[in-house]
Amino acid sequence: MGEVMRKPDKPLQVNPFRLSQPMGAALAFLGIDRCMPLMHGGMGCTSFTKVFLTRHFCEPIAIQTTAVTDVTAVLDGGDGSIVEAVQNITKKVAPSLIGLHSTGLTETKGDDLRGVASQVDYPLVYVHSTDYEGGLESGWGKTTKALIEQLVEPTTATRTDKAVLLPHVSLTPIEVEKLKEFVVLFGFEVHALPDLSTSLDGHLGEKQSALSSGGTTVEVISELADAGLVLSVGDSMQPSAAALLKKNPSMSHLHLNHVQGLSATDELASALLEASGLEQPPPSVVRWRKRLQDAMLDSHFSLGQTRILLVGEPDFLAGAGKVLSEAGARITLALSTVDSPQLNNIPADRVRVGDLEDAEALQEDYDLIVGNCHTEALAHRFHKGLVLRGYPSWEVVGNQLQNDLLYEGGAYFLCEVANAAEHMRAAKHKF
Amino acid sequence: MTRKPKIRDLLDESACTHSPTKKNACNAPTPGATTGGCAFEGSQISLFPYADAAHLVHGPMTCVGASWETRLTHTSWAGRDLTQMGFTTGITTNDVVFGGEEKLRSSIDYIVERYAPEAVFVYSTCVTAMIGDDIDMVCKQAAEAHGIPMVPVHAPGFVGSKNLGSRIAGEAVLTHLVGTQEPETSSPFDINLIGEYNVTGDMWQYTPLLEELGIRVLSTLSGDGRVAHIRSAHRAKLNVIVCAKSLVSLTRKMQERYGTPFISVSFYGKRDTSASILAIAEALGDAELVARTKQLITREETRLAQQLAPYREIFEGKKAVLNTGGNKSWSIASALQDLGFEVVATSVKKATEADKEKAREYLGEAGILMTNPGQEQAKVIDQTGADLLLAGGRSLFTAIKKKIAFADVNQEKKKSYGGYAGLLNLAEDLKNALQNPVFKNVARRAPWEK
Ligand code: SF4
Repeated sequence: MGEVMRKPDKPLQVNPFRLSQPMGAALAFLGIDRCMPLMHGGMGCTSFTKVFLTRHFCEPIAIQTTAVTDVTAVLDGGDGSIVEAVQNITKKVAPSLIGLHSTGLTETKGDDLRGVASQVDYPLVYVHSTDYEGGLESGWGKTTKALIEQLVEPTTATRTDKAVLLPHVSLTPIEVEKLKEFVVLFGFEVHALPDLSTSLDGHLGEKQSALSSGGTTVEVISELADAGLVLSVGDSMQPSAAALLKKNPSMSHLHLNHVQGLSATDELASALLEASGLEQPPPSVVRWRKRLQDAMLDSHFSLGQTRILLVGEPDFLAGAGKVLSEAGARITLALSTVDSPQLNNIPADRVRVGDLEDAEALQEDYDLIVGNCHTEALAHRFHKGLVLRGYPSWEVVGNQLQNDLLYEGGAYFLCEVANAAEHMRAAKHKF
Repeated sequence: MTRKPKIRDLLDESACTHSPTKKNACNAPTPGATTGGCAFEGSQISLFPYADAAHLVHGPMTCVGASWETRLTHTSWAGRDLTQMGFTTGITTNDVVFGGEEKLRSSIDYIVERYAPEAVFVYSTCVTAMIGDDIDMVCKQAAEAHGIPMVPVHAPGFVGSKNLGSRIAGEAVLTHLVGTQEPETSSPFDINLIGEYNVTGDMWQYTPLLEELGIRVLSTLSGDGRVAHIRSAHRAKLNVIVCAKSLVSLTRKMQERYGTPFISVSFYGKRDTSASILAIAEALGDAELVARTKQLITREETRLAQQLAPYREIFEGKKAVLNTGGNKSWSIASALQDLGFEVVATSVKKATEADKEKAREYLGEAGILMTNPGQEQAKVIDQTGADLLLAGGRSLFTAIKKKIAFADVNQEKKKSYGGYAGLLNLAEDLKNALQNPVFKNVARRAPWEK
């Protein structure tokens, strides 16, 4: 591991790519079937979030605001606007759940969400998600934990053929789906929490209803505690796993920092073999492992001479860094949105919490960028290779189909990065 | 005395036609039933296009983290385009507890040192307004220390809507910039463009024509704008408001203070573009200029007619249904008619009374004004046999079900549809939509579906 810098060394952020906790919370609620995320704050936060996610997913995004105004901001404890918001929402649609989450404004006021929740006679989960702490990843993690704490029924019974998957925020809809399928191959019934794979992908524009459609249902969530296996992916999901284990201490828990690349996928596969009692994995798994090995060899010529800047949420950096470095790429700089214990697991020369101005200052250190669409300007300015990943990705179509996980996704990912690196080198030689 | 704008006064805009009746609706969003942006967003839209100024957002992450680099507001500024950069103090818990003024001060110093902007706009947001940071004081001291204007913008999201935010932004410009510098030269045909943000280069579709006529754009608020120019805006002979009712209070005050008259125009579609250019010339009150302008309009319209001829053939007899909001409900309708479409229906869901009147005028007696387009549009398509639906992305499925062409009019714009040249862009996009077989192909049933 290289040097880790956890605190920015300047007073402001220039070209920030950190995203807010309320946004992460809203996104997690969108992974619940027929849920209405209700953001408690000024209406702008909700409007920005809606536009941001609509552009990223190319899907309509259901979300509402309590629309706090100067009157409510100063005078009221927040109860009024929340109760009124719930009434107005349920006048028009019948969500299975309301996902109440706070913002910086209402946290500064000190609104008591729990107190309000007890006054509302409607299925509701609340979570404190101020935007002056944490980020997208922690907002998602905290919300998953709140869903578990407030919805899951405790039990002592366990079903050995049932698994719960807790994916971190940077996994795309198809990645969640691929991960579920992988677990199913080993004979489990599996439920993801949250589950964007069925709610924010492949709706053909038919979803005119104002609610999320697809995702894990509230009924399924309430019955999660009888699963024999809890599988958490990403450091940000550890607290959620702990909360679930509290509901039924006899569950067994497998935590993976990520599921990218050969060794991490091996680790998952061997754990699933053991849990399922199978001797051999299904043939498709064996086949894809060979393909990944092949892709590692094919791409190593190019990747071995490529210095990479990784930009994203901590859990994403750990996984992408690992799969790339397994094929010989050097991660010279990993730029994280926020601090996290996960920063210790990133195989990079230098890890720092920062902004894209920092990446610009260090531009001589890397040849290729793996990051969100804000890094595109940086790549153009300094003629770097570019592979778009993470939030936001507005300029390309097909984000939700981008799969980098496990043996299969790893093989595609390595080829894509190697090709981008060659493309960049070819373009450079023209100068 | 505080220089903060008085929100009540701004809400009470006498020059805003709908304010006597709609005041409350403008001001009070309904919890659980609102989708618009906040005042901060409104001020951001109004001022960020000044590419030679830094825009420092004093607040936590949501405000600018989710919104920088989202709008294609082009600039000809040769330096680094600061519009496409995000600056934020990124308030943390510590600042909420102990105050963020110190951080704001050093952030301004940092920006001035590294990026040498012509000015710094400092935006307060919900959290920093709530904790009571005195951005006026910090700005005043920083302006003295650095010798460039620092403009505090008091538009935290909780004061109200986007529209109010633009007004507050206008107010900030009026208080801190307008009239603080004299222009290098003056001409009898100097105008200011107010409320044109040059999204996708809209402004550049018609400013060359104004220049050709000898009309000089002295300053803009704020498309392709310069801080130095807006500081001398008080010397303009006319304020031209482009499609933005929210900045009418700014122009009214400039009329009171500096005697600058104002007119309101739109550059959407052929008829509106011609009428607007002529209106500017007439307002400048020079007979010879008016004559020149009429010639230019004839020339441009003739050229446009030639360029549009092949498109008009394709659009001949085609019927369009339009589902969009605000003034677009008639302005796009008028552009469509200029292209030869028959506009059979438009949405007046969120339109003001004036917008409805205009829509009625453009569509004629037979035109359908939809008040609940989400439910009505499918029926209207059946009734009228429409060929094209122009709406927001949510309506895509209606088009697929009805197997007709679809164009997204609410999508973040990438191409300009403004002026005469923009009409050609629109024509090309609609031609492609009509000729694209995707809507029919996607609607194909799966072999296992009955
Ligand atoms: S509502 Fe307040 S906190 Fe939210 S984006 Fe607007 S100014 Fe920022």
